[in-house]
Amino acid sequence: MIEFEKHALENGLTVLLHHDPTTPLAVLNILYDVGARDEDESKTGFAHLFEHLMFGGSINIPEFDTPLQAAGGENNAFTSNDITNYYDVLPVQNLETALWLESDRMLSLAFTPKSLEVQRNVVIEEFKQRYLNQPYGDVWLNLRPLAYKVHPYKWATIGKEISHIENATMEDVRSFFEEHYHPGNAILSVAGNIDSSETLKLVEKWFGGIKGRTKNVRDLPVEPPQTEFRSMNLDRDVPGHAFYYAFKMVPRNHPDYYTTDVLSDILGQDKSARLYLKLKKELQITSEINAYITGSLDQGLLIITGKLNDGKTFEELDVALWELLENLTSTPISSDELKKTLAKIRTAKAFQEQGILNRAMNLCYFELLGDANGINEESDHYKATDPQHLLQVAQEVLRKENCSLLTITPTGNA
Amino acid sequence: MLDRKVAPQIQQINSINFEAPEQKMLNGIPFYHMNEVPNDTCRFDLYFNAGKIHGQKSIPSVANGLLLSGTSSKNTNEINEAISTLGAYYESGISVENAVTSIYCLKENLVEAISIIVEAITDVQFPEKEMLEYLSDRKQQFQIGLKKVGVNAQREFQQKLFASNTLYSQVTEIKDFDSIKREDIISFHKDHYINGLQKIVLVGNISSEDVNTIESKLSSFHIATFNDSEELSNLPETSHLEIKDAMQSAIRIGRILFTKNHNDYLDFIILNTVLGDYFGSRLMANIREDKGYTYGIGSHVVEFERTGYFVIGTEVKKEVREAAINEIKYEIEYLQNELIPEGELELVKNYMMGQLLKSADGPYAMTDLFLSAILNGKDLSFYNDAIHAIQNIHPERLRELARTYLNWSDLTIVSAG
Repeated sequence: MIEFEKHALENGLTVLLHHDPTTPLAVLNILYDVGARDEDESKTGFAHLFEHLMFGGSINIPEFDTPLQAAGGENNAFTSNDITNYYDVLPVQNLETALWLESDRMLSLAFTPKSLEVQRNVVIEEFKQRYLNQPYGDVWLNLRPLAYKVHPYKWATIGKEISHIENATMEDVRSFFEEHYHPGNAILSVAGNIDSSETLKLVEKWFGGIKGRTKNVRDLPVEPPQTEFRSMNLDRDVPGHAFYYAFKMVPRNHPDYYTTDVLSDILGQDKSARLYLKLKKELQITSEINAYITGSLDQGLLIITGKLNDGKTFEELDVALWELLENLTSTPISSDELKKTLAKIRTAKAFQEQGILNRAMNLCYFELLGDANGINEESDHYKATDPQHLLQVAQEVLRKENCSLLTITPTGNA
Repeated sequence: MLDRKVAPQIQQINSINFEAPEQKMLNGIPFYHMNEVPNDTCRFDLYFNAGKIHGQKSIPSVANGLLLSGTSSKNTNEINEAISTLGAYYESGISVENAVTSIYCLKENLVEAISIIVEAITDVQFPEKEMLEYLSDRKQQFQIGLKKVGVNAQREFQQKLFASNTLYSQVTEIKDFDSIKREDIISFHKDHYINGLQKIVLVGNISSEDVNTIESKLSSFHIATFNDSEELSNLPETSHLEIKDAMQSAIRIGRILFTKNHNDYLDFIILNTVLGDYFGSRLMANIREDKGYTYGIGSHVVEFERTGYFVIGTEVKKEVREAAINEIKYEIEYLQNELIPEGELELVKNYMMGQLLKSADGPYAMTDLFLSAILNGKDLSFYNDAIHAIQNIHPERLRELARTYLNWSDLTIVSAG
């Protein structure tokens, strides 16, 4: 059970406080309700580029990192298709330094041309290092537009193409800030050996004066139901054949979400899961295979991915895989198999929650989903999984016309 | 009125509470138990004298990867099934000198998970079929790795840097996966696992009765009676591996250095932090934040039992490879010629104290910090020495260390891309 207090400042900022007396560290986490899905299709990669600019100095403080490091702290951030999340970890006695820094960049950035110019280059190198100059690195740049035709999940967080980042202007930066970086669009958590009323006063001191703005109503294009199987092959200079079967699944807040997660684990959680046992160990078609879900806020994907053994073909894989899925959509799973799958989920959650940073982040994330206390209800959702419902979800998700398949063929091979 | 230009007062960290795990012997093998865990999670590690230097042709890493490949009574699928049923996670890996297997699970399942894994490791038969399948998988992964500039630079760097000792400098070759024999693996397993257990580590709130049960399950292992760790000489070399169509070049620059037992170790760690071991470091400030050449650059000090090395690593835009190397040289020479300003040093000192506090936070981190100390025969007082070193460092000392250890002509410089 993760205990927390929830408060709201007048300007709309949500504040979550979590007391942990066992650590000398404090975490300040701020989640902004903006991700790559909120970008204009002609200016993709912007939420992530903007995250980089958040470290380029704010209105009253020339550098973000320097004072935090001087306070014995460190920080980082990440951007996904759904959210942008910033965190600071530092000795609890210096928590106020983090509040000062984070509040100033929520108030306003410095918007220096040098920062924009340098971070454009840094992000372009990140684009190359992680997506272009890596074997199989461009898979998601291609799989997304195959699976999504309308919804902004069709582009990756890094952006559709490098030119979108190259063309970003200071005016784009300013308007992105105006629109998305304000108290009402943020959820803040503080975790550590803190006194909650003192901490709340400090949060009020630094964030209370930031002017509230109205939160934009998100109106994203809705992805129409997929009605046909889609497939695409890419020829790449890679050593092995790789495959990505992407099935549409429910949004994060849908009642079937947890069952779908369990379904992906039954398929491909580990070396005792169905895909591994059948396609790798028994049939020797693949060298590796696993399954997972993207966990997206809007309609997400259940992915089955792996690589072929030398001499095996995508056709052989396809026949065997659909046979395996057919079994899962026609016969309820045994209670032993379900129990095993849930046991691993339980262990994973216990390990995840022992880190204070994870707790601080997850509180914000569940609050975004509607209620921070959802973090404490998750285990019950998993426990409640029942074989009959799992069967229904499998039938809904694991359909051919609900699937997009991307294959990568090594150049030089047929 | 709130003055946002004025930073809140910073309070220094003056002391850190380091807690050692309990230490005793289980079957004559050192056992370290961190019992103070405020939840139900636990971790159990077995350290073996089975790292890369103890064999050839990638035999150590293949033996490690096949530890759960099947016993005389259970096949590999049955073993994996039994582990999963307990909700447990198994991990294994090798480093240059050691191999380690770890179990992560909830404490209620620990004893049973240990039973399964210890039986699997002691009675492993390395079935031919499993071995061939594993070698084929590894071959594919290896080929994928060779498509990465970072992997190529790292291989090249390792061969050049460790050139004084072939056991340390050998790297995996594609032919290894076609030439390894089952007998090689079996004999390696006997010498380096069954007769090669070095230490046992447990993090978890586990009763002494359970520890006794665990001890009884470990009786097939014998303590390692040999140690192949060696000291290495620094033989600087420069090379570039051209990779057609690469968009980036990976760079590795470094030298053979020392372990925690050297008098200059702690102060050098501070110099390393200034140069490249935090976000605001000289290398990051110049090569990422000023020039925009890279997504990241860092420097590190790595230790083995009897030697260590220093390395700078980055991946930069291909066209600026030479320019990036020149900037690295510039930053190193700047440290040799100019004193570090007090303000910057103050920041680094505070940052390092914060990092040390974090390294000691919680039973898992604290245990790992302890293990790092005992690798070089130290105990936790080493970290109080570290606090002392951080608090008393001065710019002249760091300039002296830069002049002693970071001469450009002493560095091995490798790039790929």
